[in-house]
Amino acid sequence: MGCSLAFLIPFVSLIAVAASGSEGAETVWSGLVIAENVAQPQSVPPELTRIEGSLKKFFGYNQFQVIGQSQKTLKTGQEDWLATSKFFGLHVDARGESAAGYVLNLQLYKEKELLLETDAKLSKRSPLVIKGPQVGSGQLLLVLVIQ
Amino acid sequence: MKTFEEKWTAWLDGKLSGRELSEFETSLPDKATAEAEKADARKLGVLLRRELGVSALTNEEFFSHQLRERIRESSVLSGKRDAKPSTWWTIPRLLWTGTASLAVFLVLTVFVMRDKNPAEESQYLTQILNARVDPVISPNATVSMFEVKQDRVTVLWTEGLQSLPADYAAK
Repeated sequence: MGCSLAFLIPFVSLIAVAASGSEGAETVWSGLVIAENVAQPQSVPPELTRIEGSLKKFFGYNQFQVIGQSQKTLKTGQEDWLATSKFFGLHVDARGESAAGYVLNLQLYKEKELLLETDAKLSKRSPLVIKGPQVGSGQLLLVLVIQ
Repeated sequence: MKTFEEKWTAWLDGKLSGRELSEFETSLPDKATAEAEKADARKLGVLLRRELGVSALTNEEFFSHQLRERIRESSVLSGKRDAKPSTWWTIPRLLWTGTASLAVFLVLTVFVMRDKNPAEESQYLTQILNARVDPVISPNATVSMFEVKQDRVTVLWTEGLQSLPADYAAK
């Protein structure tokens, strides 16, 4: 009995430590968002609820509408995907995973024109917001969140 | 030369004989009283032998006796064995010591890792490594970046990008 317990305790401890250390595949939400000021703003999409306050504070708009989005589950950290609207396309190319998050290459296209390119280390706990071009009375925003 | 007491004891035990017996009985002042004492002494002897004598063991009692003896001997032996000084580092104790050490190590590791995280919090904010705009399409565009640690949001801020008509907001 005593010996069995002695074997069991380190075994369970190691499993617990391993379980706490390992993390499963994660999903990255990428969205093309039009921010506008309107008289009767619609509610914020659920993906943006977490950063609603920050968006309003930084950009000064009261409505955020998703015009294009993509959800990608990363398994190897080497995937790429596209979030598109009618005129815009956001190409995301994951280039590896680190303890802090994923290294991503982002390219914003207007139809076939490359407007903006950036490399970022997207943290699992920290969303990325990119201010895009002015569109009408609003603003195009690119948002990336690890869910 | 035997004393009177020695001869008296021998007479009571019936160990005098022949001339010695007749001389001793002649020397007795009251032979009838002496004979009565001798008879009492014999009765007492018989009584004592009957009451205090070792009675023969029956088979069951003998077996029980042997068994008890064995048990007593073995308990004495094991007592002697237990009394030997034991080595502290027996295998179970080594195992328990290893287990305890591992548990302490794991607990300390968890605490150290937890303490370490706040100091490295900044690296868990999203970082923008570089950014560029097409100088042909937006020649006056600039980019800047900032992190809002309170909200844990990283913002890439662009200025001077080409403005587009409202139609481009279509889904």
